[in-house]
Amino acid sequence: MKAPLAALALAALLTVTACGGGEAPAAKGPQPLRMSIWTSNEAHLKLFKEIAAEYRKFHPQVGEITFDPIPFENYTTTLTTQIAGGNAPDLAWILENSAPDFVGSGALVPLKSKVENAAELVPAATRLWERDGELYAYPFSTSPFGVFVNTDLVKAAGQKAPRELIKAGQWDWEHANEINKAVAAKGKNGLTILNFDYKAWDNLATVWQGWGAKAWSDDGGTCQFNAPEMVEAMTFMHKAIFTDKSMPGPGTAVDFFSGDTAMAVAQISRAAMLKDATFKWDLVPLPAGPKGEYAVIGQAGIGVLKKSPRAEQAADFLAYFTNSANSAKLAAYFPPARTSLLTADTMAKTSPMLNGDQLQKVVIDGIQKGVVKPSHKGQAELAQTARAALDPLWKPDADVKAVLDGVCAKIQPLLGG
Amino acid sequence: MSRRVKLALYALLCVLCVPFVFPTWWMVTSSVKPISDIFAFPPALVPSRFDFSTYSRVFELQPFGQQYLNSLYIAAVVTVGTMAVAAMAGYAFARIRFPGQNVLFLVVLVGLLIPSEVTIVPLFQMFHAAGMTDTHWPLILVPILGAPSVLATFIMRQFFITLPDELEEAARVDGLGRFGTFYRVVLPLARPALGAVAIFTFLHSWNLYLEPIVFLSTPSKFTLPQALTQFVDAYGSPLWNVQLSAATMTALPILVVFVLAQRQFIEGLAHTGLKG
Amino acid sequence: MTDLSNRVAERAATRPRHFWTIPRRDALVGYLLISPQLAGSVLFVLLPLGLVVYYSLQEWNVLAGTFEFVGGQNYAKLLADPNMGQVLTSTALFSIGLVVLNLALALTLAILLDQRLRGTTFFRTLFFSPVLVSLVAWTIVWQFLLQQDGGVNGLLGAAGVDGPNWLRGETTALLSVVVVQVVKNVGLNMVLFLAALQGVPRQLYEAAQLDGAGAWTRFLRITVPLISPTILLTSIITVVGSLQVFAQIAVLTQGGPGMSTTVLVYYLYQQAFQFRHLGYGATLSVLLFLIVAALTLLQWRLRRKWVFHES
Repeated sequence: MKAPLAALALAALLTVTACGGGEAPAAKGPQPLRMSIWTSNEAHLKLFKEIAAEYRKFHPQVGEITFDPIPFENYTTTLTTQIAGGNAPDLAWILENSAPDFVGSGALVPLKSKVENAAELVPAATRLWERDGELYAYPFSTSPFGVFVNTDLVKAAGQKAPRELIKAGQWDWEHANEINKAVAAKGKNGLTILNFDYKAWDNLATVWQGWGAKAWSDDGGTCQFNAPEMVEAMTFMHKAIFTDKSMPGPGTAVDFFSGDTAMAVAQISRAAMLKDATFKWDLVPLPAGPKGEYAVIGQAGIGVLKKSPRAEQAADFLAYFTNSANSAKLAAYFPPARTSLLTADTMAKTSPMLNGDQLQKVVIDGIQKGVVKPSHKGQAELAQTARAALDPLWKPDADVKAVLDGVCAKIQPLLGG
Repeated sequence: MSRRVKLALYALLCVLCVPFVFPTWWMVTSSVKPISDIFAFPPALVPSRFDFSTYSRVFELQPFGQQYLNSLYIAAVVTVGTMAVAAMAGYAFARIRFPGQNVLFLVVLVGLLIPSEVTIVPLFQMFHAAGMTDTHWPLILVPILGAPSVLATFIMRQFFITLPDELEEAARVDGLGRFGTFYRVVLPLARPALGAVAIFTFLHSWNLYLEPIVFLSTPSKFTLPQALTQFVDAYGSPLWNVQLSAATMTALPILVVFVLAQRQFIEGLAHTGLKG
Repeated sequence: MTDLSNRVAERAATRPRHFWTIPRRDALVGYLLISPQLAGSVLFVLLPLGLVVYYSLQEWNVLAGTFEFVGGQNYAKLLADPNMGQVLTSTALFSIGLVVLNLALALTLAILLDQRLRGTTFFRTLFFSPVLVSLVAWTIVWQFLLQQDGGVNGLLGAAGVDGPNWLRGETTALLSVVVVQVVKNVGLNMVLFLAALQGVPRQLYEAAQLDGAGAWTRFLRITVPLISPTILLTSIITVVGSLQVFAQIAVLTQGGPGMSTTVLVYYLYQQAFQFRHLGYGATLSVLLFLIVAALTLLQWRLRRKWVFHES
């Protein structure tokens, strides 16, 4: 116990004098690399480690490559705490909602010249990670939102399956709502938006995009929560929740995968959860809104942190990790952004859960034309502020316009700053 | 006491029990429910069928056994360490006169006033500079010596204050020095207070949540509360029944130990224990 | 006899006084005994606290890695922060509710269990058991129970009451977090009270009864004064603890609905860790520290007025 104490005392002095958190001394021998990730799924980790082992064969100067899982819930928070404490990883997964902060702050190393064949990356997937024509993170997972349908429940409620509606050109929110209303009338749940839970409102973009609504203007400077399209979209949702009861209300836990819910808006990667489903299911694109068909994607990028003393090596590993061959392997779990991989045939090999039509309509089309969920510099504070201001909306007698005006009043100062 | 009063008292106790017992009951029973039952309304008191496979999944998804050992040994070390540190400091502050005593006591008391969120960033920096992040040292050293042990010292001091002066005078006449008095005479008497400190400290360490999340990053080094939040699918959605199985496994052994040892715990406390 | 004592006194007077007198030796032992705790306080409490004060004078952008002295700017921000009113109100309501409910319930349970009844050990175990369940597990379970269609409303429904949507109403959400926290931890205070109650001599009650004092009078005149040191201890612990409740809010409400459950420590966490305003977070830390310190000092000062037997 004495040695650690002495070390601590020394460390304390160091912190007081230097206060930046010590950089690791340039050690000799193989240099380890560390990547922060939020999955702790064994299959994922196994694949990562295989790729890492392969890489080290040709790069003996690289020591062990570790993958640090941080719980998804607190991912960005924990990551930034580590960075603040001077313990930044060399590489990190970055969620789409913190992309503007990471890309904009200059915390990441430019990658364009490193990434293999960067030209084939789908523009919709890279937009978030670019600044001044430079790429700051590799879009390693680009996962479109679709609607998972429990066809058994839909049939039991005497409704047409969404796939039939698609054929008839009637797959829109009005029709979807009718189905869910009928299911709800039978005592089951209608449609749920996964991970929303009346808190993570950015997931509602999967609905309001159909009305052409936006959280804020494209330049990020003006709040658009109280624009007419948004008011209309939110009115639709409010009615669905409180009048039609076709969406489970606030304070209700819903689990699509156990079979009590007709539809779930979710990222397609969730198909893996349906491996042992006890009901028949389908995956269809998001219903059309008044403004027509649309797609929304969720994203994650991998960046190299400038603070890393081994940034050069880390970027080199990232290039290897995401080259065409490895992207194809990763595609089994994380939808790729490389056009060469975005064909129904290639995808079918990696996503055995989905059929060709589902892959083409939801995944491939979705990635090509998808709009990324809203994100902004200072997203965490914006998200919290808007969440608090939106709460009054989730009551039966809410005045939609007034609440949305209130949201803008609260977040405009944050947007303008 | 009349029969009627007794009956009323029992009825009152039973009603009051509900919020204390029901959540634990729900946690244990739900851990073997099929997932659709967890969401059933009204909630099922008894599972419709038992599915124990979630318990084996707990160990498949994470090195749960290792994490269990981590939590246990950290809590044990912290408890013993805190008892030693707090008994010594508490005794000195209560029974020995030395210059600067009051000021030093106030200095120590500051620790009682600091939520761990306040100092976590500087602490992280210090431990990182000392090369001790992703080790168990911060989870052991800070509770034993830092803010969490101050409450223990405070409890010990309040206990030692109530001891009669004659005890120490007698010990002195017997030729015992300060150390001897402390170790041979006072400490054995302090067992109830030490018991209280042990319970407080063990539970505090056992439940520690923020610190492990900040300091540890390797799953095999995780502690239980931290591990509990990790039973999620790849996209962050909780695997409810697996999580509840893990939660049950963290709670039940402690409950059993408590039921068996509660005489020592509480009655010891009750006989001579904390009167201020 | 006299002869002997005279001789001893003589020797003490003639021999040069030893440096290590008893008080000095005592003091040395005292310093030695407190040294681990003191070293820990300096290293793990005062030093980090000093750093926090230092950070509160900086604008610290973690991602960009910039660290810039801004003087009192964060404190000016604190005074102008439009959320502060709501946060402090929530904090006050939360803490008052929690302390009052916790102490009242703990004392009630302790008194009930102090009656000469069979099976009190059993009930004591039950009331204490939530203390042993890990906080995270406990909160996750309550999250289910408090849903619109959850266990609490199931039980209320069985009694014919239509329960509210607990975590979605501003008042009920605050109340829920308080109750979840009280039920979790009241066992500790209950045990401390029970210990104190069992230390009250029964003869006192019997004598008072002979003098014609009613149950309430006996409680106020005998019980409360005699267990007042314990009341002081538990109330200090509970007040301090109430200002540090964090994980429960993070799991149950995340500060909502609106900002009704955003208490100071949660707001601090949001600002520092989620919003990455580490400088401002440090400023809020300083504020939180000052509030806790002031309250504790106040309680300590007031103790002379009502705590029996305190030197």
